[in-house]
Amino acid sequence: MSTPFNKLRAAVLRFSNIFRKRKLDRELSDELESHLQLHIEDNLRAGMSLSAARRNAVLKLGGVQRTTEAVRDSHSVAWLESFLRDLRFGIRQLRKRPAFVLAAILSFALGIGANATIFSIVSSFVLRPAPVGNPNSLLSLHISEGPTCCNHFSGPLFEDVRDTVQSFSGVAGYYELVPASIGGQGEPERVWGQLTSTNYFDVAQLGMTLGRGFTRDEDHRPVIVIGNRIWRRRFNSAPNVIGKTLLLSGRPYTIVGVTPPAFHGLDLILDTQFWVPLGNIDQLADQIAPKPSDRAAREYHWLAAIARLKPGFTREQAAAELNILAANSAAAHPQFEKNLGFKIYSANSLPPRDRAAIVLFLTALSVVALLVLCIACANVTNLFLSHAAARQAEMGVRISLGASKFRLLRQILTESMILSLSGGVLAVLLSFWATKGLSSFRPPVPVPLDLTVSLDWRVLVYAFTLSIFAGLLFGFAPAWTASHANMSTALKGEELLARAGRFFTLRNTLVVAQVAMSVILLCATGLFLRSLKNASTTDIGFRTTGTLTMSVDPRVHGYTPERIVQFLDQLRERTAALPGSTGTAYTDIAPLSMGGRSDGFSRVGRPASGSVPIVDLYMVSPGYFDLLGIPRVSGRDFSNETPASPRVAIVNERFVETLFGKDNPIGQQVNGAGVIYEIIGVVKNTKSRTVGEETRPVLFRALSQTITSDPSGMGYSILVGYAGDPSALSLLVRDQIHSLDPSLAIYNAQTMSDHLREALFLPRLAGILFGMFGFLGLLLAAIGLYGVLSYSVSRRTREIGIHLALGAPADRVRRLVVRQGMTLVAIAMFIGVPAALAATKISTSFLYGVQPHDLPTFIAVPLFLMAVALIACYLPARRASKVDPMVALRYE
Amino acid sequence: MGEKKDVLQGTLALMILKTLEALGPLHGYGIARRIEQTSGDLLSLNYGTLYPALLKLEQEGFIASEWGVSDNNRKAKFYKLTRAGHRQLEKETRDWHETTAILARFLKTEERS
Repeated sequence: MSTPFNKLRAAVLRFSNIFRKRKLDRELSDELESHLQLHIEDNLRAGMSLSAARRNAVLKLGGVQRTTEAVRDSHSVAWLESFLRDLRFGIRQLRKRPAFVLAAILSFALGIGANATIFSIVSSFVLRPAPVGNPNSLLSLHISEGPTCCNHFSGPLFEDVRDTVQSFSGVAGYYELVPASIGGQGEPERVWGQLTSTNYFDVAQLGMTLGRGFTRDEDHRPVIVIGNRIWRRRFNSAPNVIGKTLLLSGRPYTIVGVTPPAFHGLDLILDTQFWVPLGNIDQLADQIAPKPSDRAAREYHWLAAIARLKPGFTREQAAAELNILAANSAAAHPQFEKNLGFKIYSANSLPPRDRAAIVLFLTALSVVALLVLCIACANVTNLFLSHAAARQAEMGVRISLGASKFRLLRQILTESMILSLSGGVLAVLLSFWATKGLSSFRPPVPVPLDLTVSLDWRVLVYAFTLSIFAGLLFGFAPAWTASHANMSTALKGEELLARAGRFFTLRNTLVVAQVAMSVILLCATGLFLRSLKNASTTDIGFRTTGTLTMSVDPRVHGYTPERIVQFLDQLRERTAALPGSTGTAYTDIAPLSMGGRSDGFSRVGRPASGSVPIVDLYMVSPGYFDLLGIPRVSGRDFSNETPASPRVAIVNERFVETLFGKDNPIGQQVNGAGVIYEIIGVVKNTKSRTVGEETRPVLFRALSQTITSDPSGMGYSILVGYAGDPSALSLLVRDQIHSLDPSLAIYNAQTMSDHLREALFLPRLAGILFGMFGFLGLLLAAIGLYGVLSYSVSRRTREIGIHLALGAPADRVRRLVVRQGMTLVAIAMFIGVPAALAATKISTSFLYGVQPHDLPTFIAVPLFLMAVALIACYLPARRASKVDPMVALRYE
Repeated sequence: MGEKKDVLQGTLALMILKTLEALGPLHGYGIARRIEQTSGDLLSLNYGTLYPALLKLEQEGFIASEWGVSDNNRKAKFYKLTRAGHRQLEKETRDWHETTAILARFLKTEERS
């Protein structure tokens, strides 16, 4: 037998022979011709007549054609060649029906595109590993106290873990988020970064674009690693940036490294762009980070931690070691670490606190997207069935010529694959565009988030797999029926699928399934659209028009609280004089920013019974309520409070209800985290964090009074009322800020209405996604319904003709056709509506002010679909009833 | 393709190789005639089956082909053994002898029992 090498050589030759088929064929026929001539000559010499000599030669060869076929089979790879033949034939077949092809490819593109887009979200946030070396062995550590998970480490506890756990080759700590401003050349810019232990980049095993991480002795040195974006934007990607100085919040730092583009810290969505050794914390995070004494205390949790598993060690080993450590700590420090536990996650994974919600949301979206694909598949199957049925005659001819069933099956599957893969390619293009749109959404939070969604190889593989599956799924049924065509009926052109007297045909079942799925999809869509409408018409309690906001954070520029107050006062005087300005106020964080400060509050002299209500805290300046149009119910506004005067506060009605019931709160005192406030005013309720929230109790503090003891880490928002063009005024305000201090970075500049639009981020995102899917589903279902019904009517033209010829009135024929179509739709409704009720239950948590059993939605959607179905049935019915009986009888 | 055909093709391939070793470069028709004659007309050879076998041997690199002119001035494709072909012939001859020997012994014992 031949060696593997020879086999390989033969295989390679065969593959390459596909491309020189003609030449090989010619050579073979020459060879056989010469063979016959030689044989004939021999025969003649043996005394045969010419005709006998020729016959004998051909006979002995076993037929020229058969020999040619036999040799050809081993010329090249037979299956590949016949596949190419199928492909060519399939394309030729499909080119005859451009409308069908277009509809099928579009259906697939939309269905697969929807899935690829959702999957790209999953891929970007769940599947993509951290852009570090060996992402599998890099862990993020959290502590839990009792059942509540996920707090940071205290300084001493971090040291315990770092020094005692043997399963880790390294443990690094970092202070998660520090705002700063980059000065120097160009417009000052606000950036966010992290303060890290010097081994941070070694533990992360990050491959730097330029330079290095920190060395052990650099903890207190002014060195910095900058993100790739800063490097590109501020240094024009200069290769000689290492060793240069960057002015960060007014202090010079020496650049020692540049991170790769994909790296933005080890949090999944937090977008940090610089890293400085932790020893610089008192300079960079002055006033916001805990004081040195607190950093060494066990009750202050401020340090995030990552750890690298030693090679050969498992997570379970690390967890076991940490459990022992937790038990020891609980025994040694019962006052702080009594219920201590540790949690281990992969670095860069979903934030543990929100994991469940995110997973649920993505699952819901995936299910909906798959539903869209199923509808698309059902749709194309129907179209394809019609297409295949019309080719029964062709199939009959091929069967009678000896084609095997498998051969026909393969031919049709090849065609369905051509369609589904073309759809897949288009789908990738569509989702490329869709992910770009998704990435442009920005939630209204004051911290930087990287929510970029992009297509990666996982998405491409997913889309490809889906295309193959879709192609097989929708191709198989038509292929099966077509390849099992009964030869005699097929040759006569009768259709197997439209056999009279059968109601539960494949096609009818598909219509029912398709309509039922559309009901589910559209009900979900209806709910989300109503939720979006509710969210955008919710009374948020303040005026969003006529106000623009921008933020500054003078603290990172080295301002003391007193100087900040002074700065804000000066700015207020200057902006008041600007043309178009109607007033200026300040707050620490604009409302609807998805988060903020909060504390438990209780009445002084009346200790809370049970749990202490959590109250949102804002710092505002005088004029804030007037500017935003928040009505005052009683009491007065802030005026000229100072840190030295007694603490005063204004609360909302919800706060009053919660703590005072029906008592008059004015002049009463409340206690929040040990600070006593006297209530001087009550205002109407406003939405505090998100549009969709239940109204929360809020306490407003005087900015000038609180700024010293409790400064904002997020900077301060300047609110300027305007009449006229906000963009012109915005520029003027900027000029005023920079004339006071040219080094101040200005950020989050926008109008309040823009801010509100961002605040509607989640309902809008869900609304748009579901809206798009719902629209797709409706479109596909309508096309499918129409296509199927009109096709089945056209197949029955002859029968209808007989009805008419026998004297049946046209409207009775119409009713017959419509009734049959609507029966299918009614069955589908019967299945679809209860299924939709069940399905939408899981989506409750994303809905604003809409019950999952929202009556209008569940009435409107079925009615709407019925209407579409009625039109889809009526039009072909009308056409059928107008058929001339003579034409109909001669049909086919 | 089934097992049976492979075996048949295997013996045919051996015959082709042996013929080419004995007679030197030869065209397809010549090989067919020679095999038929050598077998003493015991083997009824369908000449057509020769060509797929020749193609396979050529693809595996055991024989090479070239267009030439026959004794009576006909254009024909001539096949000849390559060096790999010589080695393959030796190996297959050896294998064949072993196989037949085993089979012979096997059949003998079968008869006895």
